[in-house]
Amino acid sequence: MRELLLAQNLTKKFKSNLALSDLNLTVCESEIVCLLGANGAGKTTTINLFLGFLKPTSGKAFVDGLEVSENLNEVRAKLAYVPEQVSLYPSLTGLENLDYFVKLSLDNTLGKADLQNLLDRVGLNETAASKRVNGYSKGMRQKVGLAISLAKNAQALLLDEPLSGLDPSAANEFSTILRNLADQGTAVLMATHDLFRAREIADRIGIMKSGSLVKDLSPASVDQSTLEEIYLQQMRDTELA
Amino acid sequence: MNKAIIVKEFTEIVRDGRAIILFGIIGLLLLLGLVTSFSSESTKSQTVFDARVADTEVFNAQGTKNPHSAAHFSRMAHKPVAPLSAFDPGVSAYVGQVVWLEGHYRNPAMFRAAEDATELGRLENFSLAGILTLIIPLLVILLGYGSIAKEREQGTLRQIISSGTSLRGLLLGKFIIVFSISFAFLFFTIVFAAVTSLSVFEASSQPLTDLFLRSISLLFVYGLYTAFVTATTLFISSLVQEAKNSLLILLGLWTVMVVSLPRLSASIAEKVYPSPRSSEFWEAMDVRLSQNRLDSSSAEYAAAERAVIERAFGKKLTENEIENLAINTRGVRLEVSEVIDSEIYTAAYAELFENYANQKNFRRLLSIFSPTIALQHLSQAFSGTDVNAHEHFSDEAERQRNNIVRVLNEEMIINDGGENLRYLAPPEFWETVPEFEYEYPTLELAWRQSGADFFIILAWALFSMVAMFWLGKGRLEV
Repeated sequence: MRELLLAQNLTKKFKSNLALSDLNLTVCESEIVCLLGANGAGKTTTINLFLGFLKPTSGKAFVDGLEVSENLNEVRAKLAYVPEQVSLYPSLTGLENLDYFVKLSLDNTLGKADLQNLLDRVGLNETAASKRVNGYSKGMRQKVGLAISLAKNAQALLLDEPLSGLDPSAANEFSTILRNLADQGTAVLMATHDLFRAREIADRIGIMKSGSLVKDLSPASVDQSTLEEIYLQQMRDTELA
Repeated sequence: MNKAIIVKEFTEIVRDGRAIILFGIIGLLLLLGLVTSFSSESTKSQTVFDARVADTEVFNAQGTKNPHSAAHFSRMAHKPVAPLSAFDPGVSAYVGQVVWLEGHYRNPAMFRAAEDATELGRLENFSLAGILTLIIPLLVILLGYGSIAKEREQGTLRQIISSGTSLRGLLLGKFIIVFSISFAFLFFTIVFAAVTSLSVFEASSQPLTDLFLRSISLLFVYGLYTAFVTATTLFISSLVQEAKNSLLILLGLWTVMVVSLPRLSASIAEKVYPSPRSSEFWEAMDVRLSQNRLDSSSAEYAAAERAVIERAFGKKLTENEIENLAINTRGVRLEVSEVIDSEIYTAAYAELFENYANQKNFRRLLSIFSPTIALQHLSQAFSGTDVNAHEHFSDEAERQRNNIVRVLNEEMIINDGGENLRYLAPPEFWETVPEFEYEYPTLELAWRQSGADFFIILAWALFSMVAMFWLGKGRLEV
């Protein structure tokens, strides 16, 4: 399978603080990889390095074979990104926000009906989409963020704790959409604290600790309680260390 | 993509009630400036027109009179309202409106509006150019301080960057919207000021094309200045992490570059090149005049006398012919003295205006720290209200004084033998004395005299653009 996201000995230091250490990771097309780990484990740093928001101290990140720091624009054109807090313009409606970001990232513009279709796909109906974003809940913002990513039709989707703060129903809808995207060939790398969702949708689960990938698991090989036990064990080791 | 950024920025501004209130306040300020300018300039224009008519009537109605008495009765040279003084009155309130064209003396211009103004009248100094110079940068700052910093603060910048958007395109889109809104205020203000000037100029004969080209020149340099402020605002906004810091830095720059330095520069220039006090100037003039008096028995004096007589008769004359002429020798001596003194006045006034030019050059040097100073120079030059325009008027008035006094002296020289002042010119003679028809210096001259100021503004605009598109872009990439 085509390797869309590849980290080779990826390392990032912030002064003396080692945020990511010698990470080797691959996410192929149609694959969902979830990164679990405590705050500061290196999940967000990994995503930021793939997006080119940070420059690696050593090692390399590749997107569809292109080295990130040398091909920023080409790489970003292949990626879609949903942060923990989707940032939108409060005085614009959900539809206007989507329209704006689509126009920024695509050469072609989409009609209003196409935009609404995208919002319908992520569960934001026309009434909600025509309201200004300053009245949106976090879940509604996340849906607009996901719609922006869908519009881009990106080869790889990077998500930084997109499920935090979502109610179970919204989280469930979100997971379904991600699974559908992956089934259509998109590579998905998601940082999350939600062990349940990770096991439910991921093809592989990576557990990160102190900037290193310490476990690479297949959800099929572990049940929910085992996964939880492995995770907690890693966290306890961190605390003891 | 630029269109998307422009439409989105415009939508946000329109939906932000504070921006609409801000536009309303600025619009009202400019309207107030326009009304006060129109009122003050139309009154001034009508006053000049009425005073000229009255001056001509009184001069022509002198009846039979000795021409030398008429030279002391004198005429006035009225400065017409400057082409765009409704927009920028410049130094006109401080340099006088009328020159008393008197025999023997080159008087300075009198009736300075600033001296005659009441406390309330000082509100009229609230000129359109003054408002624009202060308010437009403030408007740009308020519209643009958060352009990038707020995007960074609320996280949308990451969203934009991750979408693969061209960062130069993003900066250009934001530049276009902030610049366009500010330029719209400039455009309408200058157009309305030009229309106001047209109605004010009904009493004079200012060519329409000149007014049009002056307005275009003003729009061009104010546009460059606005481009500089916009690019600087976006550059600062892209450097800082928080919008409030961007606002603080920009307001600090506004206070220094727009409010303080232009005013300070005038005071510093005055200290470096002090203008002489009126009493000092005239004391020095008296000394120079007395030192340059020619000995009436000298060959130089005789040559001057001969030149005066030949000019009066309009032909070359032999010694013999001169001796046989019945000419008024008092009139000859008076004219010789006028010719000699006029050269001294010209030199002294040239030094005075050179001092003003040195002050201006010094301010120009300080515009390296604030392009507002260069903008003020250009604005006054294109409005026809700078010191250079006043120097032009002063020189033309002196030329007219020389003409009038020469015509009066020659009337006496030709028509009365002897050496006293008993000759009386007939009543119809006065109408033959030429009227003062003043034409403002051309726009081309204003451009030539302001070339350095233009290049300073252009350099600031280009430098700020480079900072925004290259350094600012660099800050966004990480």
